[in-house]
Amino acid sequence: MRAVSSLRVHLLRLLLPPVALLLGIGAVAAYFLSLEPASDAYDQALVDIGLALRERVRVSSGSYTFDLPGAAERALRTDQFDTIYYSVRAPDGAAIAGDPELPAIPAGRTAENGVLAYDGLYRQQRVRVMAMLLPCDGGSCTIYVAETTRKRTALARTIVLSSVVPALLTALLALSIVWFGVKRGLAPLEALSAEIRARSARDLRPIDVAHSPDEAKPLVQGLNQLLGQVTEANRNQQRFLTNAAHQLRTPLAGLQAHTELALTHPVPDAVRGQLEQVHGAAVRTARLASQLLALARVEPGRKPDASARVNLRRIAEESADEWVRRALAKDIDFGFELADAEITGEEFLLREAYGNLAHNALEYTSRGGHVTARTGIRNGRPILEIEDDGPGIPAAERERVLERFYRIPGSPGSGSGLGLAIVREIALAHGAELLFDAGADGRGCRATLAFLPLSQASP
Amino acid sequence: MRSVRILIVEDDASLAAGVAQILQGDGHAVDTMKSGEQALVATGLEHFGLVILDIGLPGIDGFEVLRRLRSTDHRVPVLVLTARDQLEDRVHGLDVGADDYMVKPFAMPELVARVRALLRRAQARTGPKITHGPLTLDTVARRAYLGGQPLDLAGREWAVLEVLLARVERIASKESIIQSVASWGEELSPNAIEVYVSRLRAKLEPAGIRIRTVRGFGYMLEEFKGTGEPSLAPQES
Repeated sequence: MRAVSSLRVHLLRLLLPPVALLLGIGAVAAYFLSLEPASDAYDQALVDIGLALRERVRVSSGSYTFDLPGAAERALRTDQFDTIYYSVRAPDGAAIAGDPELPAIPAGRTAENGVLAYDGLYRQQRVRVMAMLLPCDGGSCTIYVAETTRKRTALARTIVLSSVVPALLTALLALSIVWFGVKRGLAPLEALSAEIRARSARDLRPIDVAHSPDEAKPLVQGLNQLLGQVTEANRNQQRFLTNAAHQLRTPLAGLQAHTELALTHPVPDAVRGQLEQVHGAAVRTARLASQLLALARVEPGRKPDASARVNLRRIAEESADEWVRRALAKDIDFGFELADAEITGEEFLLREAYGNLAHNALEYTSRGGHVTARTGIRNGRPILEIEDDGPGIPAAERERVLERFYRIPGSPGSGSGLGLAIVREIALAHGAELLFDAGADGRGCRATLAFLPLSQASP
Repeated sequence: MRSVRILIVEDDASLAAGVAQILQGDGHAVDTMKSGEQALVATGLEHFGLVILDIGLPGIDGFEVLRRLRSTDHRVPVLVLTARDQLEDRVHGLDVGADDYMVKPFAMPELVARVRALLRRAQARTGPKITHGPLTLDTVARRAYLGGQPLDLAGREWAVLEVLLARVERIASKESIIQSVASWGEELSPNAIEVYVSRLRAKLEPAGIRIRTVRGFGYMLEEFKGTGEPSLAPQES
């Protein structure tokens, strides 16, 4: 298949030559069809002059004389635009009167029916000549009447203007109809592609075939089939991950339980150290498994249900017990500043994002520190925020901490570096921004998820 | 704390054995079942003080076990274990009557702490009396005793204390306290609650009963640690 860069250009290329040819033929035909009758009328006027001139030829005793009063000659020669010349020759060819230098009848042509029209040059001017053979006293006099061609040129110009210009306008009109008609005709396709462009990578819903133009339906159906396959592949991945998570977590829980159990018994110090290593590894692996699962769940292909309303305040309230309990174990004051903040989103993912931010805050805050969970509306946007008074994230690291498996060099704790990457993915899935800055008094870290207001979130 | 008989319903033998050993070490008698069907037979025959129930069981799943258990009017406390940490499951579990849930994998000390809290809650309320360490509330006679001595509590103080006792070791939000305490369309400010709590603290803290403030949220009646009972503090997982 040849690549067609633009349907419009393609159509114009197809249409332009025949349209131009047709209009050209039309213009030429119009020119000649209207020029000839007009030209004939001017010629006839010259013939009339010739006939009048013949009346002035006198024959007396074999010699021809021509008598035209000066006033009559002036009247004859007078024309608004052109100069008229004439010449009268006796049957023997002798010039009797007028301008004898007028171009003679071209060789090989004869005056049929006594009249011949031809073009010639006289005094460096183009002239139209009518040669007439007229009976005069038994013989045949030749009378030439010539006229410059100003009138005729003007006429031709007028005819050209009146036939070619409308033809050109018609051509332009036809081409612009094609140009805009194609645009208009392709408008449903434009709308369709705009709809596809506007979609996020997570939106795998089929495109509405009913609203597509008939010609585009096979294309839309093909796309929908592809979207369906991608959706199905995603679903398979989800099922696999859910199963894998279960299969992985139960033995990990067992491993954790047994190492903890072993640690409650009196064991030699060397063995205790090793057991603690095993236990720590089991705990970290278990958390890593949970995080990978969460990350996989927000991979493209999963679009949060736009109709599900979530109040961020409830997310913080419902898990308050869990986080306060964990904070107490580290002697950290975990507090709340909660106001209503409704968004559309997926509660599980939002809970995961909140949990990761809270976990990080507890991880990096030292004993006696403070962590505050905050929800509400700020600058018109619903926010979910965790602030701590730990070491904070240096400004230079704020981008990098969002990368998977990245940890700030030399940072304490035992994280995998996945937590913030998960939060960022969840933020992306919800059209939210994840911002880091310092907490109150420039100390610690403040992580803010700023969501779209409800009015903008619904499609 | 009285030791009880605990039923563990978990198909992973290793995990079940680990949990069983930990709880036995805590002084309880433990039975282990591998399927929901077995568990339902067992609860029909024996009395258990607590059931630890896995959701992902072969055959009928944990939700179904819980539903059938509750439909036969078993008030036994149930702690649900689940590998599926989706909120839907959590809500579902608590809706059909679980008393608490834990997501796998969990830290063993936290499991022990939750089990103890559930048992304390189940045992604190025997008949009309609620006990918490040296504190006893007789809800019928509306009398309070601290270390055997009558304790003078104003009406509102009593009401706030009752809410805190009902949610012992869990946070009671100021809002929920206001809702329980305010009567007949009367407006109660959060500040008023603060006043009642500080009065309660003045009366209870000398006896070792602590009410913790959760900044911006509410209060938590902490586990009573004054009796020398060994404690496995919850750790981070």
